[in-house]
Amino acid sequence: MGVKTGISAAKQQLISCHDCHALWPVEEAPGHCARCGSRLHLRKPAAMTRTWALLLTSAFLLLPANLLPIMQITSLGRGEPATIIGGILELTQHGLYGIAFIVFLASLLIPIGKLCGLLIMLFTLQMGWTTNMQQKMLMFRMVHWIGRWSMLDIFVVAVLVSLVQMGNLAQISGQQGTTAFAGVVICTMLAANTFDTRLIWDRYPDESS
Amino acid sequence: MPTTHPDYRHLIACNECDLLLHRPVIRISQTARCPRCQSVLISARANSIERSLALACAGLILILPANLYPLLTLELLGQSRSETIFSSAMALFQDGLWGVSLLVLLFTILVPICKLCLLFWVSLGLQMRWSLPGLSFALRSYLHLDEWGMLEVYLVGVLVSVVKLAAMASLEPGPGLFCLAALILVTTLSSSMLDKDLFWARIEALQEPDQDGR
Ligand SMILES: [Zn+2]
Ligand SMILES: [Zn+2]
Repeated sequence: MGVKTGISAAKQQLISCHDCHALWPVEEAPGHCARCGSRLHLRKPAAMTRTWALLLTSAFLLLPANLLPIMQITSLGRGEPATIIGGILELTQHGLYGIAFIVFLASLLIPIGKLCGLLIMLFTLQMGWTTNMQQKMLMFRMVHWIGRWSMLDIFVVAVLVSLVQMGNLAQISGQQGTTAFAGVVICTMLAANTFDTRLIWDRYPDESS
Repeated sequence: MPTTHPDYRHLIACNECDLLLHRPVIRISQTARCPRCQSVLISARANSIERSLALACAGLILILPANLYPLLTLELLGQSRSETIFSSAMALFQDGLWGVSLLVLLFTILVPICKLCLLFWVSLGLQMRWSLPGLSFALRSYLHLDEWGMLEVYLVGVLVSVVKLAAMASLEPGPGLFCLAALILVTTLSSSMLDKDLFWARIEALQEPDQDGR
């Protein structure tokens, strides 16, 4: 049929469905996949613009997420706000290094690592850096997979707030920092979803040619 | 008319780098990867449809007690308080954090329930060879919802809270916690047992006769 393996499908006028991976001739493009009903397009629409927008949003939200308190802890009538970093420091002061490390990983290292990882992918695409592609793909898959774990701190706040409701004796209430932090998590997850790694490979030199 | 293009059935394009390849022939429990970017092309799983149906049923049964029974009970100076997944979302709502509370509700209750229902519907249709309405839509939605179900993250959140509170109060695990752990085992197994390629091929095979009829 004149179709060659070993080069990209798009270069041979073939679209692979984003959802079920069925192959279609490119003429089907503004329609829907007959197998799964998903919209057909060669590459995810406006991938780079959307990823940049979501990435910048989450970078901005990272500030209030870390500066605003995520909860207010009141014990014996004395209340004090707690931030994410404050919570981690308090765990280390009590010698709970393992748990402190898990929370540090989920609420600081993973969101920042995700932002950096996505930035690397975006620059790779814009500058046409096609070196170390296998490592970059591995990193992108990690970023994609690990993103959901950043919700950990939000869930911890939810559990603490619902358990510790003892009036003046001890009371924990949720604060606006959680909204910003949840925003960071959602935006980075969406950013990883809107990015299309195929765009990078489109600029990769074909081995066969 | 068959649903996928017959000229291209022996081919497969890599999902992540768009490399066009001959569809590899693999045996059960083998995984074929793209030679250029190492992403998974297809992975065959033994009795994928049967097992998905069984796991979806188990999950639908477990999700009830996991949500209805308390996960943890805290006791402090004669007062005690229990929490379920729903009550923790509501506690945030009462503090005026309606956005976060909605997200907790979505990621830990609604998405897991939807995922199990969708998986049940798809695997039931394929197992019984019934051309149920919306099979392809259900599978597509299931795959898109997959990463937004966060039960295991919630469970780790409960464990972190236990460590944080252990110094100030006594905590009792409730029956809900064990059901939640079992439910996570079931959902994790079900996503590793799902052979997407096989599911799509079987959905296609079911669609063919009624396309002829039209
Ligand atoms: Zn499709
Ligand atoms: Zn590839």
